[in-house]
Amino acid sequence: MDTLTIAWLCVLFPFLGVIFTFLMARVHPRLRNAAAVFFPFLSALCSLKLLTRLFHPETLPLESSVKWIEIPFVVEFGVLVDPLSIILAVVVAVISFIITVYCLGYMKGDPGITRFLMMVNLFVGSMLLLVLTNNLVVLFVGWKLVGLCSYALIGYYYRDEEKYWIGGPAPTKLVSPSHCGLKALVVTGVGDLIMLGGILIIFYYAKTFNIMELYTTASVWMPEMAKTPGIIILTTVLLLAGPIGKSAQFPFHEWLPEAMAGPGPVSALIHAATMVKSGVYLVARFIPMFYYGYWVAGISEASAFFTIVAWVGVITAFVAATQGLVALELKKALAFSTVSQIGYMWIGLGMAGLSGSVLIGGTTSGIFHLVSHAVFKACLFLCAGSVIHSAHSIYMNDMGSMRKYMPLTWIFMLIASVCLMGIPPMPGFFSKDAILLSALEAHHLPIFILAVITVVLTAFYTTRMVGMVFYGKESEQIKHIKREGGHIHEASPTMWGACGILAVIIVFLGLVGPHVEHLLKEGFKTNLVGTLALPVAHGGEHPFNYHLVVSVLSIAAILLGAVPAYFMYIAQKWDPRAILDRSSTLQVFHKFFWNRWFIDAFYLKVFVDGILKLADFVAYTVEDGFDNFVHRKIPTFITQRCPAVMFKLRTESDDLLYNISYIIVIFVCLLFVVLK
Amino acid sequence: MSHILLQIIIVPPIASLFILLTRHLIGRKAGWIAGFSLLYSTALLIMACVRVYHGEIIVEEYPFIDSAITFGLLGDGLSLPVALIINGLCTALAFYAIHYIDHRIEAIYGDVDERTYLNHYTRFYSMFLGFPMGFMGVCLVKNLIAMYFFLEVLPIPLYFIMATFGYVDRVRVAMICLMWAVIGAAFFLAGFLMAYSQIGSFNIADMNALAGNPMTFWIIFVLLIAILIKMAAVPFHVWMPWVHAEHPTCIAGLLAVYANIAAYVLVRVIVFPLPADFKAFSIPLMVLALITMVYGSFLTMGQTDVKRFAACSTISQLAYSLLGISALTIASIEGGMFFFLGHIMGKTILFSTAGILVYTTGTRDMREMGGLAQKMPITTALWIMGAMMLSGFPPMSSFPAEWVMFTGIFKTGVQTMPIGLMVAIFGAGAIILTVAYTFRSVKIIFFGPLNPDLANDKIKDPPLTMSIPLLMIAAVSIILGVCPKLALNLFNYVIAGIPIP
Repeated sequence: MDTLTIAWLCVLFPFLGVIFTFLMARVHPRLRNAAAVFFPFLSALCSLKLLTRLFHPETLPLESSVKWIEIPFVVEFGVLVDPLSIILAVVVAVISFIITVYCLGYMKGDPGITRFLMMVNLFVGSMLLLVLTNNLVVLFVGWKLVGLCSYALIGYYYRDEEKYWIGGPAPTKLVSPSHCGLKALVVTGVGDLIMLGGILIIFYYAKTFNIMELYTTASVWMPEMAKTPGIIILTTVLLLAGPIGKSAQFPFHEWLPEAMAGPGPVSALIHAATMVKSGVYLVARFIPMFYYGYWVAGISEASAFFTIVAWVGVITAFVAATQGLVALELKKALAFSTVSQIGYMWIGLGMAGLSGSVLIGGTTSGIFHLVSHAVFKACLFLCAGSVIHSAHSIYMNDMGSMRKYMPLTWIFMLIASVCLMGIPPMPGFFSKDAILLSALEAHHLPIFILAVITVVLTAFYTTRMVGMVFYGKESEQIKHIKREGGHIHEASPTMWGACGILAVIIVFLGLVGPHVEHLLKEGFKTNLVGTLALPVAHGGEHPFNYHLVVSVLSIAAILLGAVPAYFMYIAQKWDPRAILDRSSTLQVFHKFFWNRWFIDAFYLKVFVDGILKLADFVAYTVEDGFDNFVHRKIPTFITQRCPAVMFKLRTESDDLLYNISYIIVIFVCLLFVVLK
Repeated sequence: MSHILLQIIIVPPIASLFILLTRHLIGRKAGWIAGFSLLYSTALLIMACVRVYHGEIIVEEYPFIDSAITFGLLGDGLSLPVALIINGLCTALAFYAIHYIDHRIEAIYGDVDERTYLNHYTRFYSMFLGFPMGFMGVCLVKNLIAMYFFLEVLPIPLYFIMATFGYVDRVRVAMICLMWAVIGAAFFLAGFLMAYSQIGSFNIADMNALAGNPMTFWIIFVLLIAILIKMAAVPFHVWMPWVHAEHPTCIAGLLAVYANIAAYVLVRVIVFPLPADFKAFSIPLMVLALITMVYGSFLTMGQTDVKRFAACSTISQLAYSLLGISALTIASIEGGMFFFLGHIMGKTILFSTAGILVYTTGTRDMREMGGLAQKMPITTALWIMGAMMLSGFPPMSSFPAEWVMFTGIFKTGVQTMPIGLMVAIFGAGAIILTVAYTFRSVKIIFFGPLNPDLANDKIKDPPLTMSIPLLMIAAVSIILGVCPKLALNLFNYVIAGIPIP
């Protein structure tokens, strides 16, 4: 079977999974479960087959399409196999398959499991469509479907039973799953629609939606665009709104921390394999066009793309990490971590165009971090789901000492956490250091420094999370469960098995980390420099060994963050509560971070309350007043001024005869006109 | 088959007459007779569309007053797809109303004897069939006066059905509806007569003789007022919430068509023959459309009455088609017409589902619903599909329609920077308001805990005669969403011929 057929099948299988899951559910639950897992499995196999192509990047890209719309312009429905799409397809398909297996255990006995499994398959299919398509219209189809699936899965517990609410503890407000689903849909939707504007402006100049054609014709349409001052910057801002929304980057990042109202595996899907990665993917897709514009065509406005990407990334990474420091909900801490880590990926991609010599390094580092993050974050979320399942609480301070009861989950989560912190030899270490190295090589010191500070914060909140969940004393909640005769135990084999596989992949990726990085680098080099003929300058001689500097700084930053957290939450030598109580400055920061920099509250006040108030004003003040004027005041005025005529013509409210006479008069007039 | 277009127009009135004359014989079968007569005309339309898809143009001429004044019908790539979808909606609603109108008669007239009941029941269907006749007439005629005639036929069944089967304030609102129709008609008539005074013909095909005429600006201006009244653009929108909210829901979907048909008239009578003269109105209309989109969205967001909610959203949604058509590019006009079809399908589902909700729960206040997804899964699915159709989510037809339309709008936008581009960007951004209000309504009505007052066995999905027609409409929307070529290729036969200035 040829590569392109495999790519088509890779996209198609999960959609078949949706249909077969539905049909098999009518036959037997086991067949339904088998169908729900079988098709993602086939997709994963296809993606792995595609991966072999990455070892021969000179044979790429490959493209196949059929015409979807021919008039008034051509839109194809096709697949594009190139290094970027292959890497993303493997990440999406393989991780999603493992998560789907986990779902069978996690969702066992749930009355809505058929709907859930169908939505998971649709989610995976949409994401594969997004990453494997060859044009921006179909990419947008996948983009919108991913948003819709996330809405359905985040709000899966649509009955809003109190046990599924997230947020808190009091006095912090709790929010219902249906609210969270709607929030995700609307916030990401804002970005989507703004991005649509950017794509359509590009189409106006480029006359094509095909990604490869956009690359190859950039020499024509980019200079044409540049003739209108400001249009490239405007287009950049519009285009990036979509990825910023989907990848939960500042300032559209507030939906993601609440997107974990859905079942545990949904969080894993959204954070690790699907939704948030789509934004990173799209930024990477746009890089060649803007790189060409800036470094080849000499259009200064094109550099705005990279500047915005890098700064959005680093600001998000820092802001989200500070929020992770104080989070009490286990999944929310992980959600902040996701937002922060995606920020790192954006830094790498931004650096790709901020220096003429970092194109390959920057792109590779961003995508490499995407790969390693996908694996360790999937593992973390699945483990978190297991722990929450056992502890019957979403809060970390309701756990403690869980390693006694869930040793396997503890080991797996520890491996993933070490990877998140970026400790060698885990893949997180290599990928994060590659990003830091790109920033240093591009000589963007403010971004580099902020990124290193964020490493400190990451190490702190990760150690704190592991300590609060698995170490220390048992919480009152755990004691309560035991008193009530509850049994806290390891998760079911399908659940810990899925986590175990992910942990093994993490370790494996760590062992071959430099090789993976090299493979990606060669793939991007062949694609960007070879196929697309983008020029890359050789970096000048550095005053010192940047690799060494980054490694040393990175490890020092990890120690700076992890050691205090170790003493507070694992060894429990220091009491974090006492430290906080002693320092009023720390209390201010704690409050500030706990309230998420007051960004969410600001959005709520301005965009939600403000819009609803405006809607009420329009509906009940403006419209009622206007309606009253048109339908009461004017008729009253007329009837008062012409009482004699009106008296003869007036209609009684329940007398249809008078109204019929009106119609007859009108049509007599009409006939008169026609026959005249 | 001969006289295919004529059959499409006269089958509904013949069925109407048959129902009226044999009402006591056929009794409750009136709904099925109406439905099957419309199925027949839908089949004819499909046949006609297939012929047009293969490049044919269907023209029929019939003598009217004498050989000089004829009644001409035209089936081309613009008229037939519009007619097909509208007739399909009429068919679906004829079946939907079989149960619904039963409920309305009982609600309004109480426990009446069988003869009185049958009088009401058959009266509804004999009047209902006036809609397909009017709509088909407007779509297929070649003559301005015939078009005017059919445009003015439409308010008659609307008026009587409203006054007889509507909700609380039905007679007053029927009067409001009629008065607005008359005002709109006056402008249509004035515009048509002004055109006649210049070219000496009522033929739509002769309208291009007006190109460059100094009077053309004013003719278009007058006709645009009529069209904007029909399309409920701000500030002529004020009738829409009343009329849609007080109508029996089985025809509320057709009210969306009643308003939207003006988009077809705009393309057929003004844009197609007079694109260069229409260009002067392009940017002002785009701005007006944007204002209407945003205003309508806020108005919708403020509603708590489920019927008014759907009504107000129509104001906003109609403006999308207006935006597309007034952007005056091939893509935006084709997309605008395609969006119009997507919208009327979505709105029919949404209005009819609102009817199911009122029928089942006995309340119109969304806040008194809540948690209904547990009891009414099919109704929930229908509402969500309606929301998806309005918000332009794939695989619904409104997704490719929106895409094609905005491609054209952005083309005009870039060419007319900065105002045009700002309108295009805010227009695309305004879709988020639709997403917000439609999916917020899903949350309020269907999600969350079930309202204890509704925790009884009466709260359940409606009978299949009500839900299947709506599911069929959703299926058509999905088919057109997956294969947009079916509609776009047909439109292109006509719209590609517009000499865009």
